[in-house]
Amino acid sequence: MALRLFLLALLPLAAVAQIEEPGTRLLEGDAERGRLVFGQCRTCHYPDPAMGHNNGPNLHRIFGRVAGKQEGFEYYSETFKQAEFVWTPQLLNLWLANPRAMFPDSTMMSLGVVDAQQRADLIAYLKQASVKKLTQEDPP
Amino acid sequence: MDREREQGAALKPAKGVRRRQILAGVGAVFGTGLAASIAGAQSPPQSTVARSEVRSWDITTDVLVAGSGAAGVCAALEAKTQNVEVLLIESLPRLGGASAMSGGVVYAGGGTSLQRALNIEDSVEAMYEFIVTSGSRHPQLDKIQLYCESSPAHFDWLVAQGVTYKQSFTKAKGLPFGDESLYYSGNELAWPSAELARPAPRGHVPGVPGMNGGRTLMEALLARLKKLGVATRTGLAGQRLVVENDGRVVGMVVEGASGTVNIRARNGVVLACGGFIHNRDMLRRYAPELYDCSVPWGNAGDLGGGINMGIAAGAEALRMHQGFAIAPMYPPENVLSGIVVNASGQRFISEESYHGVLGHAIAFHQQGKAWLITDSASSYSFAQDNFPLVARSNTLGDLAALAGFPQGALQHTLAYYNRFASVGRDPLFQKNHQFLRPLQGPPYSAWDVSVDRAFFPAHTFGGLHTDVDGRVINSFGDAIPGLFAAGRTVAGLPTAPYIASGLSVGDCSFFGRRAGIAAAQGGTA
Repeated sequence: MALRLFLLALLPLAAVAQIEEPGTRLLEGDAERGRLVFGQCRTCHYPDPAMGHNNGPNLHRIFGRVAGKQEGFEYYSETFKQAEFVWTPQLLNLWLANPRAMFPDSTMMSLGVVDAQQRADLIAYLKQASVKKLTQEDPP
Repeated sequence: MDREREQGAALKPAKGVRRRQILAGVGAVFGTGLAASIAGAQSPPQSTVARSEVRSWDITTDVLVAGSGAAGVCAALEAKTQNVEVLLIESLPRLGGASAMSGGVVYAGGGTSLQRALNIEDSVEAMYEFIVTSGSRHPQLDKIQLYCESSPAHFDWLVAQGVTYKQSFTKAKGLPFGDESLYYSGNELAWPSAELARPAPRGHVPGVPGMNGGRTLMEALLARLKKLGVATRTGLAGQRLVVENDGRVVGMVVEGASGTVNIRARNGVVLACGGFIHNRDMLRRYAPELYDCSVPWGNAGDLGGGINMGIAAGAEALRMHQGFAIAPMYPPENVLSGIVVNASGQRFISEESYHGVLGHAIAFHQQGKAWLITDSASSYSFAQDNFPLVARSNTLGDLAALAGFPQGALQHTLAYYNRFASVGRDPLFQKNHQFLRPLQGPPYSAWDVSVDRAFFPAHTFGGLHTDVDGRVINSFGDAIPGLFAAGRTVAGLPTAPYIASGLSVGDCSFFGRRAGIAAAQGGTA
């Protein structure tokens, strides 16, 4: 189990589908639904770089970053300050399933997103929103 | 369950979190019943616990405060000044509550030191008139009166605790993104409020750039708490109140990582556990309109625990369906020259209204459905994730058809609106000249501002009935001995519609202080 999940964190999504444990599969997400699931996260997190950090760190280009290392954000828990892992959609999925079970001392003031489909939707949204700049012209 | 607990405990990393530890965490996540772990530990079956059933107390204090938002922290600060022993508990790992996640605005007026320093004229009467005439029907007038009269002194108290404000005012609508500390935080300038009470800027927010006012406010108050030596414990969630034979509340059964803890409070218990926006079942039962809003806006601890403990001890609960429902259309202010219509294509409010007033009208009076109609100059000019674009066209007729309004309805609304807007009038809703002009530059756009499609944050305002000193009142109108409450656990100053930012945190901090003092004095004051 440990080795498989280790791989899960490193492999691209397509490969993961081959090896995953039951219950860990990242469902296909809908970014438009995810826009609203992500709404509650916006109490503390912005994907748009221009908005900076809030109670939580900014999420611009979050996938691929080492967790807990964003410049200018001084409110990480010890767990995240010391973290050495990289955020992937799969890890975000695991984390949001039950944040306090994964890192009990996290200071994130959220109980996560219990519903697997909603998590997938949120991640689909964040994949788009975290690389988009909202200063771009609105397409007609 | 025990094994899972062990796994959870083993997770706590001494040093760096490495992949192996993440994997252990993964095991914990999927080994645990999610619902069970999120709901917390098993609660005792009784609605309250009789004193005689408590075999021993694990902790004894004079005043127990449950919750660490503005209400709980201010209660603890003031209780401490009464020379009693105070313990503040928080269910989450971090102190600060929803207040720390808020804009940090305190609604204050009647000539605060900041208003005076900026030469802004205000009076207690004008502030009182605004709250009473613009808010909900039949509010608790004694609370409003006391709050307004005490407002300048309360603001000075916040400053004395170490909260810093900048001597700077902005006319811009919405929470300042710059470092200004005073602004019009509510509906003061919009009709009909502007006619009912003399407007003044009363939103007082710590002068920090960005939207971090709440965190800044709570950092100052929490630093003060530490300085005064108030004991705090995180990771303890209140479950049940302990009640003596004579009905007096004498303690609380709380749940922590290592199990149940019985806490005795000699003088009083203060419930400051927030609202219930994140308790979906409770929300659906009590506040169906808020349940339908797309974004629950609050702290993870807003699960209604304090309200339910209070009701179980006999408290009356008020205005449980009320809350804020927010349609944050501005900034940018240029969109306020557009019009907002319901499913019949008709206007129902002045578009410049405070976004809590606008949101309330949509959520509670238009079946949750509304659209913003803009022309080219009033359109959102940048990509935004709040309000989906549902139709765009160079003619109004096509726009109306694409968006699905009843035949001719939107055209009729706009013809009427444009006819009067062109001569600077809005007979229906007296929209301010600043935002009033005919909509006549294509392309026209329709943006969805409905509760289930737009970014539509909601938070609860209903809660326990308390008097001005935070005593919890039972259904017969009597104070429950030993029980006090403040913040969003009570039905306080903020009612629906929410007419100004800062009424909630203002109410939390002001009435939290009073509850702390009353609890320290054992309710005998």
